[in-house]
Amino acid sequence: MTTVIRTTALNKIYEGAFRGQDVHALKDLDLDIRQGEIFGYLGPNGSGKTTTIKMLLGLLFPTSGKIEILGSESIDSATVKRNIGYLPEGAYYPDFLRGEEILAYYGKLYGLRGKELKKRVDETIELVGMQHARKRLLRGYSKGMRQRIGLAQALISDPKILILDEPTTGLDPIARKEIRDLLLQLREQGITLLISSHELLEVEMISDRVAILFEGVLQKIGSMAELLTQRELSMTVDHLSESSVSDLTDKGIQVEDRTGNRAVLRLPFHMSSYDGVEMCKAHSLNLLSISPRRETLEELFVRIVSTASKAREVVQ
Amino acid sequence: MTFLSSVFGGPWCIAVYTYREGIRRKLLIGFLILSLFVIFGSSFISSFLDPSAETDIDLKLIKDICVTAIAIFGALITVYISASVVPAEMETKVIYTVLSKPVRRVQYLLGKFQGIQLIILVNLLLMGGLFFIALYMRQGIMPTLLLWSIFLTYFEFLIISAFTFAVSCAATSPLVPTLGGLFIYITANLTEYLKDVEHRAGQTGQFFDNLIGKIASALYSILPNLQNFSIKMQIVNGQPNDPPTDVLIPWLVLYSLVYALAGFSCAYLVFRRKEV
Ligand SMILES: Nc1ncnc2c1ncn2[C@@H]1O[C@H](COP(=O)(O)OP(=O)(O)OP(=O)(O)O)[C@@H](O)[C@H]1O
Ligand SMILES: [Mg+2]
Repeated sequence: MTTVIRTTALNKIYEGAFRGQDVHALKDLDLDIRQGEIFGYLGPNGSGKTTTIKMLLGLLFPTSGKIEILGSESIDSATVKRNIGYLPEGAYYPDFLRGEEILAYYGKLYGLRGKELKKRVDETIELVGMQHARKRLLRGYSKGMRQRIGLAQALISDPKILILDEPTTGLDPIARKEIRDLLLQLREQGITLLISSHELLEVEMISDRVAILFEGVLQKIGSMAELLTQRELSMTVDHLSESSVSDLTDKGIQVEDRTGNRAVLRLPFHMSSYDGVEMCKAHSLNLLSISPRRETLEELFVRIVSTASKAREVVQ
Repeated sequence: MTFLSSVFGGPWCIAVYTYREGIRRKLLIGFLILSLFVIFGSSFISSFLDPSAETDIDLKLIKDICVTAIAIFGALITVYISASVVPAEMETKVIYTVLSKPVRRVQYLLGKFQGIQLIILVNLLLMGGLFFIALYMRQGIMPTLLLWSIFLTYFEFLIISAFTFAVSCAATSPLVPTLGGLFIYITANLTEYLKDVEHRAGQTGQFFDNLIGKIASALYSILPNLQNFSIKMQIVNGQPNDPPTDVLIPWLVLYSLVYALAGFSCAYLVFRRKEV
């Protein structure tokens, strides 16, 4: 698969007013984002996500290191920029303009004119589901509508790469789902998406690969399947009695989600599914289901971040 | 042609956008209304009074007030808008969505600067236009001299605008460039005084005396002399349709363009690698 965005040993130091106030926001970052994937870019607040994204767009300049986009190192060139759409984090859009006027303005900045411009404005407005409000002033838009206009301005040039900095922050569950579906639809069209987010559940649902950043250092990068390893088995059982609960706990089995005499049992690593079935027989439990449990992205994130912050404490 | 449209095509839509956004600023509208009020008040109200009681002195006073009002409110508008367009766009982060498009930074600045000039021109024409009508109605003679004055005032504002704009490109908020712009406007109108200070300094041989002399002489040699652009005395004392005397208009235009180019180049130098 071809790599569309690659950073090599990318560093960013924000220079403070005085010595010792410098912030080393990114340290030797090596990223590769492949064509046609949804890439989830994760990390706690202040870990350097926005910094990375702004450097990709030429808004900030790297202290050292290399950035390559679509095989080109001159990321400021019009050819590269024409192929990138960008939704900034928490940006404001001119609220004295109508939805469609804003899109026309951004379209012109991409060099679109006349019929082509009109066609793209119509298409993107439809894509983000804003036909009903296209003639209204942005002043009267809700947060979700603004975010859709933001998404539309990023899509106006029909880009190959879409970079979204926290696209669903502050949106209601329905809007989130709609945006998520839209992003999946865009991936179907072959667009590569780089999404920075704190919504781990969403990222888990749609991403192909993720990277986790902590204090400017890349902690993990890989596909969902690689990173979210299979963990212990979990069994749903019925006819659970009080005496067998204590017996099971002694064996290292965790009893979760008890409702009446039904519960979910989480088996320790060393127990196979056969062991589990044997155990049900022995305690005359009614086995309803048995399934391998995968680590969630949230668990992975918490695990990696807490390991990294413990490691840092040791160093200090 | 494609080259031209790629260099100016981008900036022009930025200029129109900047104009539409800037012209809505409350402070700017406030300055404009205030100036129109002063012009209207001083020139029309007294015409409702007994016209036979009007003297030549009254007319001179009215002209003086109106020309001064246009100069001062125009300069305030110029400084305010030139100082705030770029910092405001950085504060609201709209700049991220613009500079991430295939827009070069020089194109961006060019567009913003053109938009600022549009705003200054429109305001100047509104103020000047009202005064023009007032004078014409009062004296019944086309006040063509006033048109020359407005023309020259614009080129004076162009210089102030370019330098304020340069400071605003280095700043993160409009405060510093506003103060800087006012400083430039005031000192550049006082260059004759600076020259005077330079001549009188160095008499006592004391450190501060010398220092002040040096500063005055440095300012005198860098700053444009904005008094050159003013033909207020002629408007006040002369006939409304006199040709402008004592000023070399083509030379002043060139003078202004050179300073504006210098200011814009400074803006580009600081903005070229600015982190936004
Ligand atoms: N302009 C700046 N000047 C100095 N330091 C900065 C600047 N911008 C960001 N930083 C610092 O760089 C680090 C990374 O910030 P960045 O905004 O990239 O984080 P982030 O991962 O996007 O965080 P969030 O999830 O809160 O958006 C932080 O420590 C931040 O304080
Ligand atoms: Mg961020």
